[in-house]
Amino acid sequence: MAGRPDDGFDPERRLWTPWSRRKFLSAAGLAAAGLAAGPLIEACGGGESTVATPSPTEPKARQGASIRLLQWVHFVPAADNEFVRQVNEFGDKFGVKVQVERITADQLQTKTAAAVTAGTGADIIQMQYGWPHLYTQACEDVTNEVNLLKQRLGAVATVNDAFSKVDGVYRAVPYTVVPNAWSFRTDYFQKAGLTGFPKTWDELTQAAAKLKAAGVPPISQTDGHAYGDSLTMWNPVLWSYGGREVNADGKTVTINSKETRAAIAWAQGAVKAGLVVHPEWLDPDNNQAYHADRISATLNGASIYIREKNEFHHFDKVTDNAVVPAGPKGLFTMNLIFNHAVMKYSPEKETAKALLLYLMDKANYLKYTAVASGYNAGPFAAFDNDPVFFAPDADPKMKPFQQVVQPGKWPGWPAPPSKQTAQAQTQFIVADMFAKSLQDNGNGDVESAVKEAESRLQAIFARPA
Amino acid sequence: MAILTERASPGIRPRRPYQRLLNSEQGLGYLLLVPTVLILVVFLAYPFVFGLWLSLSSAELTDAGRFIGLGNFKFEFTIDRPFIQALTNTFLYTGVTTVFKLSLGMGMALLLNQSFPFQRFVRAAALLPWIIPTVLSTLAWKWMFDPTFSVVNWAAVHLHLVSYPGPNWFGSTTTALAALMIVNTWRGFPFFGVSILAGLQTIPVDLYEAARVDGASRWNQFTHITLPMLRPVLLVVLLLSTILTFADFQVPFVLTNGAPFNSTHVLATWAYQWGVPGGAIGLGAAISLVLFPLLAILVAATLVAVRRPD
Repeated sequence: MAGRPDDGFDPERRLWTPWSRRKFLSAAGLAAAGLAAGPLIEACGGGESTVATPSPTEPKARQGASIRLLQWVHFVPAADNEFVRQVNEFGDKFGVKVQVERITADQLQTKTAAAVTAGTGADIIQMQYGWPHLYTQACEDVTNEVNLLKQRLGAVATVNDAFSKVDGVYRAVPYTVVPNAWSFRTDYFQKAGLTGFPKTWDELTQAAAKLKAAGVPPISQTDGHAYGDSLTMWNPVLWSYGGREVNADGKTVTINSKETRAAIAWAQGAVKAGLVVHPEWLDPDNNQAYHADRISATLNGASIYIREKNEFHHFDKVTDNAVVPAGPKGLFTMNLIFNHAVMKYSPEKETAKALLLYLMDKANYLKYTAVASGYNAGPFAAFDNDPVFFAPDADPKMKPFQQVVQPGKWPGWPAPPSKQTAQAQTQFIVADMFAKSLQDNGNGDVESAVKEAESRLQAIFARPA
Repeated sequence: MAILTERASPGIRPRRPYQRLLNSEQGLGYLLLVPTVLILVVFLAYPFVFGLWLSLSSAELTDAGRFIGLGNFKFEFTIDRPFIQALTNTFLYTGVTTVFKLSLGMGMALLLNQSFPFQRFVRAAALLPWIIPTVLSTLAWKWMFDPTFSVVNWAAVHLHLVSYPGPNWFGSTTTALAALMIVNTWRGFPFFGVSILAGLQTIPVDLYEAARVDGASRWNQFTHITLPMLRPVLLVVLLLSTILTFADFQVPFVLTNGAPFNSTHVLATWAYQWGVPGGAIGLGAAISLVLFPLLAILVAATLVAVRRPD
């Protein structure tokens, strides 16, 4: 994604906008002055070693400014209301008009891509997963603001940090983690003679078989093109058996391995035993199936449990949550990661940055996670002990959602997030490999599935950056 | 005209250039063409040329890229495996749905061409699938094919056509593509029906009367009068439908988004996959333009056939 210095590309310019003669002349003048000044600075004792990192400065909101923020539609509706309340509070305090635009998460990228290409749109955009690596040149450098937050809130959570930081520069302000854990029906599990949720994938296979034998609804999960639930299921399965899409170098495709085949073998065994996979399911489908009493367990954000507890009251007493099972290589999880980017085309960047800092203020953020009832976890160390999970009166059933944050990885791990890992993720290569192997009740052609995944990954990683 | 101008009395002012232009038939003709040409250039030529440039470049969403010749096309045909699947699906999807849309549309037109009570109401109602926004109707179909809540399966099971729980429409490679075709056919055949109906109503009734006097059967009337007289309408409708179906995005995107495992991707959704979520807009443009030469030949051949005398 980085600009190519050999063809004169300037990564800082706005896309598709040619330079005016005046702008070119002034830039050339500045460049010439810079070149001339270098030796002078060195001669005066200045140099690279003496340039200190500037201390972070507080961005100031401009009174009378008007900005727009583009976000997803939260799966816990009350969280949307609290978010808007805080935004309005900021607006009233600083005399700024802020408009929050919402769109479903699966449509967010289309709107983001349109805004990035056109160079106009919302001033702040919620970036999912590794989008800052895809749209780097459209995202404002917010290193100063993240450094301020680090001073106040401590270290950034690993995955948020990896997604937000591109080539050492923060292109998004870490915003939140949506932890994914298993929600399951304790009544059906008890009926099948199970005392708790499986701790390992092999135990999950046994549980699926027992549920099937007991004639109760199955454990079900998507292996289709669901941007959240499919990725958060099949990547951890792959990792926990030692499989990897690509090496840590971010170049060498390694999916074709015995570890990958071991992961697929487990999945095929589980499906044959009673795990039901749905290639047609998108993200809301497992929620609907659970609320409709059609399944016993599924991997999801906390919205299933929260909505049962707060809205539906059908199965809240017989629903519990559990951490993702571990494989032979350990416990791996993947969660939805959101960060906020200030767009370079925004005429109100300072105000936008000030708003993001306001939203990430510890007191404000804790109010937000409290209203979201634990659907979100904070992306800084200061939120590790969030009362929504740790207060004496906190709902103990929510604890697993906090426990899956720390072992979280990103798609393409152990390679650092990049344009290529983002492309592999959005093409659902890992999920497709499992889905192809699991067709016909777990009797799909494994060799063909693995080789196809390898070929698709090679196509992506072989393309010039 | 010039002589008249020269002989004008001193009190009459000589005509200005724009007046001469407005009085000239040729000049006025060109002038009246300007808005159309401008619209075509802005909304058709510019996007097409820009798309062509993108397809020959390494453009990304945040990078204007550089010229790489046919590199994107080479990548698609030699390296990107799902592209071949998408290409095959596109031809299959277009071919099968066009046959069904033509057959159903012809049947619909022949029925609606008869006299019956509430004829106008039925004609208007038959257009509904084509009128309502595609995404809305496709979402309704998504629910109807849903494995958990499918009304299609419920009906089929209760009619003893299939055993419980019925097919998982979007869960298997064969039924998923079939489901896409069903929805596309449902949406597209009213367009055929109404267009053919319009064509039917231009056929002189006395041709059929003469045929009946000569003892022609209904089938002979259909094959020797109706079909030949409908030829221009059929060719144009087939052409438009083929182009629109080749480029269909909404139905496959909303219903399956390529799942299960890329088995239902068509060129439009695969181009979107690379161009928007993948950020490789140049590659996406190349995938979109792959069928352009074929469609250009198809359009040219159809237009020649339409103009050919019977």
